[in-house]
Amino acid sequence: MSVASVPFSLGRLGLIAGNTFLEAVRQKLFLFLLLLAIGLVASALFFREFNFGSSELKFIADFGFGALIFFGSALTIATTAQLFFSEIENRTALTLLAKPLWRAEFVFGKFLGVFAVIGVFCALTIGLMMALLYHREGQLMAQTPEAFEAGRLISYGDLLVVGLLQWLKFGVLTAIVLLIASFSNTNLFTVVTGFFVLVICHLQYLARDAWGNVDNALIGLVVQAMSLIFPNFQLFNLADEIGQGSGVDGDVALRVAGYGLAYIAVIGGLAVYSFRNREI
Amino acid sequence: MSQAVSAISIKGLTKDFAVTLRGVKLRAVDALNLEVAEGQVYGLLGPNGSGKSTTIKIILGLLEATVGDVRVFGVPSNKVEARRNVGYLPEAPYFYRYLSGRELVRFYARVCGVPSATLKARVDEVIAWVGLSGAADRRVGTYSKGMLQRIGLAQALVHDPKLIVLDEPTAGVDPVGSAEMCELILKLKQQGKTVLITSHLLAQIEDVCDRVAILDRGKLIVEGSVNELVGQRDRQALIVDPLPAADIEALKGWLAERGHALNSVEQPRARLDQLFLSKVSRPGRPGGASAGVGSNEVPLDDKPKA
Repeated sequence: MSVASVPFSLGRLGLIAGNTFLEAVRQKLFLFLLLLAIGLVASALFFREFNFGSSELKFIADFGFGALIFFGSALTIATTAQLFFSEIENRTALTLLAKPLWRAEFVFGKFLGVFAVIGVFCALTIGLMMALLYHREGQLMAQTPEAFEAGRLISYGDLLVVGLLQWLKFGVLTAIVLLIASFSNTNLFTVVTGFFVLVICHLQYLARDAWGNVDNALIGLVVQAMSLIFPNFQLFNLADEIGQGSGVDGDVALRVAGYGLAYIAVIGGLAVYSFRNREI
Repeated sequence: MSQAVSAISIKGLTKDFAVTLRGVKLRAVDALNLEVAEGQVYGLLGPNGSGKSTTIKIILGLLEATVGDVRVFGVPSNKVEARRNVGYLPEAPYFYRYLSGRELVRFYARVCGVPSATLKARVDEVIAWVGLSGAADRRVGTYSKGMLQRIGLAQALVHDPKLIVLDEPTAGVDPVGSAEMCELILKLKQQGKTVLITSHLLAQIEDVCDRVAILDRGKLIVEGSVNELVGQRDRQALIVDPLPAADIEALKGWLAERGHALNSVEQPRARLDQLFLSKVSRPGRPGGASAGVGSNEVPLDDKPKA
């Protein structure tokens, strides 16, 4: 008996993503972390009297990106795991996957929903940080015009690029947590493993620098393999370039973006493959 | 000439679950063979752990068979295409609490590919059909169990599937809600739909099913039409007005002369659920409507609210 095939549908994927987004923004965790991040970014203004050995504007930017990275990572891991397991534990996945819906649509829909939530988080945090910087820079320009003879010191375009790269990094982290959730049985295991992998991804460059060039070929191979398996999250940290005169190199930013997208595609594909045979 | 295709065809289905890391397996379904013809209401019965839900999940493509062939209208059940014509109401359904009933049904309709041009009308129609028009704009989180079952049925029917799978549709629902669910199932049968239903409430199954299969420890124990299985072909009951003892004795003698026996004289009893339904008020039927289980005399709520 011939039956019309069910093609992969971007419309269905968008529906799952939209529903995931709606569920996420209604969670208290999202609001809580968003308020904390915004509070922390705003509090940078109150620390400006301290001398941290760097310029005040640089300090506000660093403080803002610190809040973004810390709370963004926590939000990404917790939200991805929670939204995935709420579907499994509440058995809404049963109803959904009993429809003519590809599991790939479900997984990528979840990814896009979480990615959109993190996008809103990043946009609000970076938006506030840029507004604070602009406001403070204006005050400083009025107070000490000689320091700003060449115009504004902060490149707001660069801030935006670095913010976008951080968002992309959270996208890679979302894909990693989805991959873990696709075979994990509990939310807790997924969250703990997610944080563990996050630390590895942030620190793997240290291992590569320390062990990548040793004489032992086996260790060298293992380190190289690990550095391929776990994405290097330090590559996304271009915030140091801001306000230093040189600015963010566009080519570097594009290469980092390509690096992030490639990891999202590969890890997302693995998550779909793993979830395909999961017994619901 | 094309051969009629069963709504569900299960051949030699076995499903094992690994229960330990050392590979010890639990056999949930054991060499099951079933054919469900199109247009039937088919009951899948059995105690807890008998393999009913596992079988349903394999039919829906949520689980893979270890061995065997399962087809839905001729399409292997693990293909996405097989689910085009299937609606599913899970046991004790839980839906997105933050959506209203209408938003929920609309969401599932869009997932199922209901065309935009007919989407609103279809959503309104199916919500009215399950009798939830008045509560369609309330959040699902505020629904009672009976209402959850009905909105669950609405989402299962919204794409007009040919096969509807109902897993314990009356579990945790009061007798009124159960009776209404049975009425909806009979309406589906009248529309020519195939319904596969599991339930622990055997009296209800008996009222609505054409055929039943009883599973125990994953094996098929009994299968057949309800009349074949529970009808006593070597017995007949005659319902008469009350007779005095002398007349009963005379009747016995009359039967004995003709080689027959009067085996028992009993007072007929109404079922307790029928008594309950006749006494309590039902939504849309104030004052304790008397429609019995399976009756289609009064529609639940056939008029969509404007």
